[in-house]
Amino acid sequence: MAVKYDLQEREVWDGNFAASQALRQADVDVVVAYPITPSTPIVENYGNYVANGYINGEFVMVESEHAAMSGCIGASASGGRVSTATSSQGFALMAEVLYQASGMRLPIVLNVVNRALAAPLNVRGDHADMYLGRDSGWIQFGAFNAQEAYDLALCAFKVAENHNVRLPVMVHQDGFITSHTAQNVYPLSDEVAYGFVGDIDPVDDMLDFSRPVTYGAQTEEDWHFEHKAKQHKAILDSTPIIDDIFAEFKKLSGREYKRIEEYDMDDADVCVIGLGSTVESARVAAKEMREEGVKAGVVAIRCFRPFPYEEVREALSGVKSIAVTDRSSPGGAMGAFYNEVAAAMMTSQSRPLVTNYIYGLGGRDISIENIKTIYKEQQANADAGYITTDIQQFTNLRGPHLGFFKTARG
Amino acid sequence: MAITSIKNLKEFSTNNDRFEGAHTLCPGCAHSMMVRELMNCTDDNLVISTNTGCLEVSTAVYPFTSWDTSWIHIGFENAASAIGGAEAMHKVRKRKGTLADNDAPVKFVAFGGDGSTFDIGFQWLSGAVERRHDFTYICLDNENYANTGGQRSSATPIGSTTSTAQAGTHSYGKKEKKKDIMAIMAAHDMPYVAQLSPNKWKMMAKGFQKALETEGPCFINTVSPCCTEWKFEPKDTIAITDLATDSLMFPMYEIIDGHELNILYRPKKILPVEDYLGAQGRYKHLFKPEYKHIIEKIQSDIDKDWAMLQRREEARV
Amino acid sequence: MAVESQDINLLANDNRGKSQLEAGFDLLGWDEVTQGSVLPSFDGDATQVAFQKAEERTYSGYNSYTATVASWRVVKPIFNIDVCIDCQNCWVWCPDSSILSRDKQMLGIDYDHCKGCEICSEVCPTNPKSLLMFSEYADIETELSQWPQKQKKEKK
Repeated sequence: MAVKYDLQEREVWDGNFAASQALRQADVDVVVAYPITPSTPIVENYGNYVANGYINGEFVMVESEHAAMSGCIGASASGGRVSTATSSQGFALMAEVLYQASGMRLPIVLNVVNRALAAPLNVRGDHADMYLGRDSGWIQFGAFNAQEAYDLALCAFKVAENHNVRLPVMVHQDGFITSHTAQNVYPLSDEVAYGFVGDIDPVDDMLDFSRPVTYGAQTEEDWHFEHKAKQHKAILDSTPIIDDIFAEFKKLSGREYKRIEEYDMDDADVCVIGLGSTVESARVAAKEMREEGVKAGVVAIRCFRPFPYEEVREALSGVKSIAVTDRSSPGGAMGAFYNEVAAAMMTSQSRPLVTNYIYGLGGRDISIENIKTIYKEQQANADAGYITTDIQQFTNLRGPHLGFFKTARG
Repeated sequence: MAITSIKNLKEFSTNNDRFEGAHTLCPGCAHSMMVRELMNCTDDNLVISTNTGCLEVSTAVYPFTSWDTSWIHIGFENAASAIGGAEAMHKVRKRKGTLADNDAPVKFVAFGGDGSTFDIGFQWLSGAVERRHDFTYICLDNENYANTGGQRSSATPIGSTTSTAQAGTHSYGKKEKKKDIMAIMAAHDMPYVAQLSPNKWKMMAKGFQKALETEGPCFINTVSPCCTEWKFEPKDTIAITDLATDSLMFPMYEIIDGHELNILYRPKKILPVEDYLGAQGRYKHLFKPEYKHIIEKIQSDIDKDWAMLQRREEARV
Repeated sequence: MAVESQDINLLANDNRGKSQLEAGFDLLGWDEVTQGSVLPSFDGDATQVAFQKAEERTYSGYNSYTATVASWRVVKPIFNIDVCIDCQNCWVWCPDSSILSRDKQMLGIDYDHCKGCEICSEVCPTNPKSLLMFSEYADIETELSQWPQKQKKEKK
């Protein structure tokens, strides 16, 4: 019998602590982990709960992140609830295993505390790791604050383990900005939280000896395509299930999550679309722009895998100029998020202007003023009817202005 | 643990194979002999993981599997981590009573070739062993990356030609000595490590059973002659292992708790290593006058290593 | 007296060796492949599999037992049950689980799974051997009727 954890109605937790509480309440059976800043406290706390009897689980501290996800796969294929956490270099190191986990359709939950990728080495928050994993076949949620890091982790288990989904899920939060910032968090009680997530009902359980199974078969040219297609369909088909689970969570908590969330978008002429804590800054900036007479809105992607192609297209259709903010070094192209949003807008009827802002790399701050500048540039674009700036720009960067590509105009 | 009788081969043969034919290993491959032997050593349920390599690639090609027990392959490096995760989950589910049959005995076994054991999966193996997962790791050592066409690994012996350390007019093949995996694994303070060979089926079965019965991590290195890459006729696999063990190229010994070494096999007549080398195409260049001194080096290394084993056995370390 | 030749389908389960590896199943669509490419080894309850002989098990169509590699052979072993002493060398060293041994008696070859590697013949200790290799097209009864005599051991 687990030792009872003393929970207040309102706690003051940082994102890491909040995520680890979700692991405790979900009664995660096995955590296989490796430490890396800034995600380490998530798994340290799990270890603390095991050491003090708050949870009846196994905490396996392995020798690298690659081994961590590998151990998670072995544990998940053995029919129990599995989770871990990582960031940046660790995420990159386990990259091949991420693809293996999703290909094997195992319901692992990975808490990613987003941090920049070397070189140069940086431990602060940016989305480079998130972007590295975007094709890995995982369902991916974004938490913008500590409350959401907790809420979405609970939802993640329920989504992952649903028999019509059976895909691993990542829950992202910004390194240090969210993970190490203590905020008010209103947890569910242990009973309500576990009641929501429920018991795991294993599929293809290696420990069910009445039905031995082979995991990790090789599929050659006759079979691989069909398997990957099936997997792609499964992740796209998960959307109604995610919506249902978010709706159920709303009933329990009063907090509503949607796969994309819109703020002040009904009559918006210009908008910022973003991931992570930047969304909250953008909301403040948009309010201030409204006071200055600009019809500014914000779109946040809560669940960006499966990519909400139709929802984004619909939310942005009436907008005149959109700033897509990418917090990852683009490496010779437009930001990846920009590419996905622009692709969605290609098939919209209105075809708004879409611009790209690279910001906040390596934990560089993006201020309300920075975002208001972005809005002002969108308004200038909207007034002119074309993109007046470079299509891709770096924001809050020291040195001469850096921008790339101009609109082709006849 | 339900071990099967190895009193004699007739008794042992009454076991029901849990490894099926129509896998795509080369004819004559020793890997499957040893997998069959392992699975026939016990009647317990088995959860087996395997690194990418000949064994994995030949026994689970969609839509067929040759495994009659639960089996998992993730990638090239991580069979040891996978089995560690499975073993940890088993512990928890048993404690919580959520297994389909909570009392069903189960053994956890990982297989890897020399490539994944000595090289790319070395860290993963070391970590799993250091964490004291209760499992047995069996290395099927064919001294090269056979699955991808015979590249050198750190298990490739001196003088062997491989596709990435080729013998030619300016080279005699691999120049580095084979990594001493037994010493490295024993240095992890493991309860049991052993080096075994399929020609001595009973010794192998005994070693497997000892490893399965021993709580904690156990490591077994096995010689797996590869007709395709070592260049001999498939029918001679067992004959090659006889030469390997009788020339002491592959001495058979065990180390208990990291420091108690017991030699398991003393050949009645120790064969010159030339006999072993001469039977395989991968060494044939060594018989040219310009490379004959390598054979002498190989023999001298074997003699030194054998002397060292005997001294350790005598000193009980 | 004629040596008894084994039944080609000796101890074969209903579906032993029925599928070809190359074509596998009919090539199924994305909607029919297994989730996660996970393959179940048996149909029905497999709890007692370790205690069941192959012919007693309910193999799933995904088990390679139901496939055949007979086409790999250019030579095949023929088994002479009269000469055999049931030492089980062939059984322990067959890489392809193709020696059919039951209750300590060697009964024959599983020709669905034998690749013709010749190891069984090599390790057979009898004189003459109880397993000899012949062309894949050799007639078993003919070869058994003209089995070699005991060889004199050459003094080295």
